[in-house]
Formats: sequence, structure tokens, C-alpha cells
Amino acid sequence: MAFLEQALNGLMMGSIYALFAVGMVLVFGVMRVLNFAHGVIFMAGGYMCHAVMTHVVAFYPLALLLSAAGGAVIGAVLERLVFRRLRESLPMQIVASLGLILMVQNGVLLLFGPEAVQISVPAMRTVVPLGPLGVTLQQVLIVVVVGVAMAGLHLFLTRSRLGTAMRAASQDLQAARVVGINPDRVFALTFALASGLAALGGALLGPLFLVFPAMGDLPLLKGLTAIVLGGMGSVGGAVLGGLAIGVLEAESTLLAPTDYRDLVVFAVLILVLLVRPYGLFGRRLRGEP
Amino acid sequence: MLLGLGVAAALLPVLVPDQPYAVQVLTLSLCSVVPAVGLNLLFGYTGLVSLGHMGFAGVGAYAAALLMKQAGWGFLPALVAGAGMAGIVGLLVGIPCLRLRSHFFIIVTLAVGLILGTLFNNLDWLTGGAEGLPGVPRPRPLLIGELRIVLGTAVGFYWMAVAVTVAAFVVQWAVVRSPFGKSLAAIRQDEAMAAARGVNVFAHKLAVFALSAAIAGAGGALRACFLRVAAPSSFDLGESINLVAVVILGGAGFQAGPAVGSLVFVALPEVLRVASQARLMVFGALLVVMALYSPRGLLGAAVALRRRMRRADAV
Repeated sequence: MAFLEQALNGLMMGSIYALFAVGMVLVFGVMRVLNFAHGVIFMAGGYMCHAVMTHVVAFYPLALLLSAAGGAVIGAVLERLVFRRLRESLPMQIVASLGLILMVQNGVLLLFGPEAVQISVPAMRTVVPLGPLGVTLQQVLIVVVVGVAMAGLHLFLTRSRLGTAMRAASQDLQAARVVGINPDRVFALTFALASGLAALGGALLGPLFLVFPAMGDLPLLKGLTAIVLGGMGSVGGAVLGGLAIGVLEAESTLLAPTDYRDLVVFAVLILVLLVRPYGLFGRRLRGEP
Repeated sequence: MLLGLGVAAALLPVLVPDQPYAVQVLTLSLCSVVPAVGLNLLFGYTGLVSLGHMGFAGVGAYAAALLMKQAGWGFLPALVAGAGMAGIVGLLVGIPCLRLRSHFFIIVTLAVGLILGTLFNNLDWLTGGAEGLPGVPRPRPLLIGELRIVLGTAVGFYWMAVAVTVAAFVVQWAVVRSPFGKSLAAIRQDEAMAAARGVNVFAHKLAVFALSAAIAGAGGALRACFLRVAAPSSFDLGESINLVAVVILGGAGFQAGPAVGSLVFVALPEVLRVASQARLMVFGALLVVMALYSPRGLLGAAVALRRRMRRADAV
């Protein structure tokens, strides 16, 4: 019973990680950029949701949509001003991300103060009976919204012209240019999409936990682990990686103290890479050892 | 240039006496210069990014703190032992991880740093948990014949920190000039080419990774002794990422880079203290600007500037 309960909890956190990881892997696949500031966009999503709920209208679905849209705008601006020019240099991506993290986290401290804020959605605390277990409506909502977002993303990437352009750019930028794809537009779109998903994740997790400046740090680490597990370049791999990490860390609390939860996750990552150096779904690229 | 910096650093408390605050700040920044030298060898000269390097510094710090507190070792032997311990851990971590390609390697170093941090925080019987190991003794006076050098005072400890830092820079200088260092540079520029020319790439990477971890460990031991406590918060992920920023800010692959980066990283927020709330935001903005306009760090920018001025003179 405890096992099942933790599996459900893990699935819920895992879908948040998957949402987060998909954005990172899209940006990495298309632009070769690792955006370590993805976590502060997640956090900004939580704050935007809180701000909409308290100052505009206390209607949670609308707040979710507005947060995602706000995240997309932030992402497009960051891509244009910072990351488009850093595509060649991983160390500089790290430095710029660190700078952005400092700016956003301290900006939020100035605006909202150091105390965590709460997004209060009383309706979402209703307990839904699920066989012998009970889950809150919020947990169900998270899994459903993430599922819908993933399905929508899949359709977008495979069926629409823009999505096809994104996949083309990620496979071969030069060839994509030749067939008339404007790389700058694709980059901006990718970053906006990824950041929108991250902000949506923050807004989804907000009512369950609190909203505070460092709330994006753990999803960032788990998201990075998920994309590496998935092979760095595979969207499906990132989703499975995220879900697997969520379930793994939830189940690990049955065997070891909660403090060791992250250790278990990262140890499993290292073990997997020992056996499969390119991740679970990654492939060896040409010219690599 | 490095020699000059070292002499200037050593003379500072003599020339400008009665500045205990400045001495404290400088000592603390020296404690991050030493791990930065280690990371500079790894990243600046070999091209490998490690996002968990303060974890190795932590190994050195805890090892030295335990030896000094429980076995009554003196400071210098404990420092050397701490560095050795960190080097061994680096070796053990490097054997599996250095086989991974670049992005995978970076994330794995992040994971290693997090695992070490979790262990520092939770192995209560060994590391004292979240509280850390307080009460690390002050170093005993050093006796060279009749000469008795007191290291327990703030200025005395500062001199010793300068000595340890200079030793780290000497190691870096020797490595960079050696054939080993030339092979590292070849690996950074083109790994396949280096392998084709007969460089054992894996052995070289492993050696420099262990050496770099050992230097970081010495820095950690220095910090634990200065703060008189080995605490997990000094060696967490944030510190590891700050260390990468320090190395890149100063100029990765420049011998003086770690010193410049560390001084700016520690001193600049102090200078910006006038606007205490916003200073970290300003600092963050500066990092972004640097990433965009000066990819080789402050020293890289200085070199480019000097070259431009020379060219202007010639015309």
C-alpha cells in the first residue's frame, strides 16, 4: 500500500520534472544551449500565478494560462538578449545563467520579501478517492495538465509547420537554412515554448508546496538528471527520465531516510551512465569515442 | 606578475596596519583562490568543466578537521593529508566519469558534488551533520630553529594562507610549463588529434582531475582552519558554481586568473555594499554582460585591450 501511495506521489512530482526537462531538452536540442536559469523561470511562474490570483482574478485555470504566457514572454526576451549569442560556448552559458539566477532571485526578494507565499485554491484540496487511496484534486490536475501539455507538444512537433521547422533545425541547422527556415525565429519560438512550460510547472506546483525564491533549484537538478538519463536530445527520453526520477525518489523514501532521496537519484544516474554512457535513449554521434 | 602579486599580498598587513576587516576579507578570498587554481588547471588548461569541485574541497576540509581535532595533527600535515584524501576521491570519481562525453561529464560532476554535499550533511557520526565540525584548533606556532612564527593570530594566519596560495600557484606554473601541461593543452584543443599524436588522453585527464581535486582539497582545509569549522554550507552546490564563475571571471587558462577572479568576486559585492539590497542583482547583471562581451574573462579583456593600444601606437 505504501508502495502504491509513493508511486502515485512519484508520478505527480515526476510529471513536474518531465514538464521541466522537456523544455530544457528542446532548448538543448535546437540551440545547443544548456539554460541553468530554467529553474528561475519555473519559480517566476509560481510568483506570476500568485500575483494573478491575488491582484487580478482568483480563478486558478486563468492564472495557470497567464503564468505560462508570462513565462513564454520572459523566455523570448532572454533568448533574444542573452542566449542567442552564447550558442557556441557552454562555459559562458553557465556564467550568464548564474548572473540571471542572481538577478531574478534577488529581484523577487526585493518585490515579494523573503517569506514564502501561498497560492490558495481551496477547491483543489478536495480529496478524490482512488480505490483505497486518496489523492487531492491538485495532484490529479497536475498529472492531467502535464499529460495534455505533452500530447499538445507532440502534435505541435510532428504535425505543424513550425514544429517541423524546430525538428529540422535541431537535426541540421545548415540544411534547415537551405530549405528556408529562419533559425532566429525558431530559436525564439523554442525558448518561449520551453520557458512557458517551465512557468506552467511552477504555477502547478505552487498550491501544493509554497512559492519561494529557491523553489526552482531542485526541479533544475532533477530536470538536468532527467535529460541526461534520457540521452540529451530525445524529448521522449526526457519525459520518461523525469517520470522515472519522480517515482524513484518517492520509492526511495520507503527504504532510506528522506535526506538521502537526492543521493539515491544521482547515484542511479551515475550507475546508468556507467552502463550506457549516452543515456538510456541517446545515440553515439559520429566521430565520438 | 604572479611573483609581484605574492610579494604585495605578503607585505600588505605590514604596509597598511590595523585593518583587521580587510585582512579577514582577504584571507577568506584566498581560501577560494586555492580551489580556483585547481579548477583552472582542469577547466582553463584541459577544457573539462566540473560543477561539483567544492565537494572535493569539502573532502579536504573534513579530513583535515578530523585529523586536527581528533588525532591532534598539526596544521600543515593535516592540510597535506586533506589534499591527498581529496585527490584519492577525485581519482576514484574520475575513473568512471571521465569516460563520458562533455555534457554528460558536466552533469555527472554536478551529481558528484551533490552526493558529496548530501554525505557531509547527513553522515552525522563522521561529519557532524548540518552543524559541521566546530572547534578546529588554531594552527600551532611554527618553529624554524630559533625563529618562532605565530600563526594563530589573524595576520599570522593570513601569511600562512598567502604561503599556501603561493604554493598552489607554483604547482600550477610547474604543471603548465611541463610536457604534461603541453599534452593537456593539446587535449583541450583537439582530443582526437592529441590521441593520434600518442597522448594517452584518459590517463592525462585522470591525472589532472585528481591533481585538481587535491588542490581544491587543500583550499578546503585552509578554509576549515580559518573559519575554525568544517560546515556543509561552505561546500554545497552554490559554492561549486560560484567557483566556476570565479575562474571564468578572472580568465580561464590565465595563470593569474584565479587570483583576479576571486578578488573581484569577493571584493566587488563588498564595494557595492552601498546599495545592499540590489548589489547581488547588479553583480548578476555584470556576470551576464561579461558572458556576452568578454568570453575570456577580465584578463582576456585586458590582453585584448593592450593589444589594441599597441596597434594604435604603431599607427
